[in-house]
Amino acid sequence: MRHFEETLYDAVCQQFRIDKLYFENKTDHQHLMIFHNAQLGRVMTLDGVVQTTEADEFVYHEMMTHVPMIAHGNAKRVLIIGGGDGGILREVLRHPVNHATQVEIDSAVIDMAKEHLPNHSAGAYDDERCHIIIDDGMNFVRESTDKFDIVIVDSTDPIGPGEVLFTDDFYGQAKTCLNDGGVIVTQNGVPFFQPDELQTTHRRLGNHFADANFYCAPIPTYYGGFMSFGWATDNSELRRTSVDTIRERFDALNIKCRYYNPPIHSASFALPQYMLDMLDGDT
Amino acid sequence: MTSPHVTIGSSDEMQTHWRQLASQYGSPLLVFDAKVLRRNYQELVEALPGVQLFYAVKAHPHAFIVRVIEQLGGGFDVASGGETDLLLQLKVFGRRTIHTHPIKKDAEIRTALRYGVTTFVVDSLYELEKLIPYRGRVGVLLRLSFRNLGAAVDLSRKFGCSLTEAPEIIARARELDVHIKGVSFHVGSQCADASKHVEGIETCCELMQRMNEHGGTPMNVMDIGGGFPADYNRQGVDIHKFCAPIRAALEQLPDDWDILAEPGRYLVASAVTSITTVVGKSIRDNVRWYYLDDGVYGSYSGQIYDHACYPLQVLRTGESFPSVLAGPTCDSIDVIAEGIELPELEVDDLVIGHEMGAYTAATRTRFNSLPDARLVDLGTGEIDG
Repeated sequence: MRHFEETLYDAVCQQFRIDKLYFENKTDHQHLMIFHNAQLGRVMTLDGVVQTTEADEFVYHEMMTHVPMIAHGNAKRVLIIGGGDGGILREVLRHPVNHATQVEIDSAVIDMAKEHLPNHSAGAYDDERCHIIIDDGMNFVRESTDKFDIVIVDSTDPIGPGEVLFTDDFYGQAKTCLNDGGVIVTQNGVPFFQPDELQTTHRRLGNHFADANFYCAPIPTYYGGFMSFGWATDNSELRRTSVDTIRERFDALNIKCRYYNPPIHSASFALPQYMLDMLDGDT
Repeated sequence: MTSPHVTIGSSDEMQTHWRQLASQYGSPLLVFDAKVLRRNYQELVEALPGVQLFYAVKAHPHAFIVRVIEQLGGGFDVASGGETDLLLQLKVFGRRTIHTHPIKKDAEIRTALRYGVTTFVVDSLYELEKLIPYRGRVGVLLRLSFRNLGAAVDLSRKFGCSLTEAPEIIARARELDVHIKGVSFHVGSQCADASKHVEGIETCCELMQRMNEHGGTPMNVMDIGGGFPADYNRQGVDIHKFCAPIRAALEQLPDDWDILAEPGRYLVASAVTSITTVVGKSIRDNVRWYYLDDGVYGSYSGQIYDHACYPLQVLRTGESFPSVLAGPTCDSIDVIAEGIELPELEVDDLVIGHEMGAYTAATRTRFNSLPDARLVDLGTGEIDG
């Protein structure tokens, strides 16, 4: 019986049984697997790190998408950097947007996800509002003259192929893609085990935005408790949008979520004391 | 140059075997026998019960070998991004790998982390500080230096901190919140006996217990390195007997410690045999010079870099003459053996090199733009090169 052992930390690791291997790349200088686990459904791993599982992806994708979209209130154009599995795109297209651009570095990731993780995109790639661009995310934000209301950075970890998406330069360039009052959100790791990542991102986002902060959600297979999402905008009021306003907008959408709801939206900006201490210690 | 052990003549069966390989795959050729590697691995497992083996990939970084070690459940000891790349291409899980180079660039650390390595080795405060950004992820071994002038290669001159420096580095690591989980040492290559291993185990044990008394995160990993010998002089290596003093020393350690070893040479040396061909001859000053198609810039590079002297074998028998075996390059240093007595060899004769799996192909060069010897996997017939 084969097992996947996550390689993030020396002293602890989570282990998943591989019940059926659907995909394993053979050639690239990376190790991508998609397999079935009885408890978690389909699981995608890259270089020894869990990327997404069918069982808990809803927490991540709903929170990464609906928090900025509903706080903004009138997002029509959305930019997704990364997110090849299609989960973010799926959630974005539940909103009345006119346009979603997704920039993925490798078209093979999208093809592979459509085939082996079909429930993530759930047909989103066929929606005519979606525009797929195969390019390096850094390159795109540097060169593009398009403007967006929301930028969602659904990247891998900072030690890995997504490294450039955590740089000061990237955040600065991404800002040039935002309309006034726009919001950028980022995947920012599990601070309990990765405090440096929280501190570094806080500093770098703060170099470019009036409001650089975080919100949280626990994703069970991102071991270590709360995951943090970077939140950056020049409209400092967006983070304090009242729960009534959020509820009004959410009700108007008429969508059903499994993790997201208006009180969770508001509460997710309340950071546990250990995270506040990490941020305090950094300034 | 020390004189190699030379075998004159061979059984008909082996002659046919080597000739067939040379005609099928060409010469020069390296022949890998996975059965020998498996046997060596099992013997070492039995000689060092309870010790986790991490194959030193540098000894022979090749897919044929990595696959066998992986099937056997072994781990891997890597020293560079190139070596992690090889494991990544073969989809070996990173959790079975340790990074043991005491000196590394930040990019090297990141590459290793990305691959999935979380065990790193340091031997100074400078190296320790490089791990600060990754302290939430790594477990560190502190490498100690034990000079070994009796080893073929003394690996404690270039690397390792002294016993007196160790407490300062450990204390600093605790301040920095970098987890030092244990110590490592490397007594050198091709050891004559295990006395240095025993000294290392006893000294490290004393240090770890002393440091553990101070409280803090306990250290419980000891990496006893390699140094297990290959049979270059054809006198036979009884690894079980060689390891007896090590077993006795390890018996004295606390039960809950993890013991690691990094064998390379012992595992792969005898698993690879070299086949070269005489491509030219001449008689100068009554000495017969035979020019082979592989030499010290190729598979025999270990005679320069590794101070090894591989056992040789010729297939003919008969009256012996003073002879020299030289490699194919234009350089006069390219001599495999001189001052040896051989029967009269002819062009197209084969010369066999034994115990040629470790630090041979690994350190060869492309001097004179000569092609590398190909490596064939005897069991599968798979050929590389």
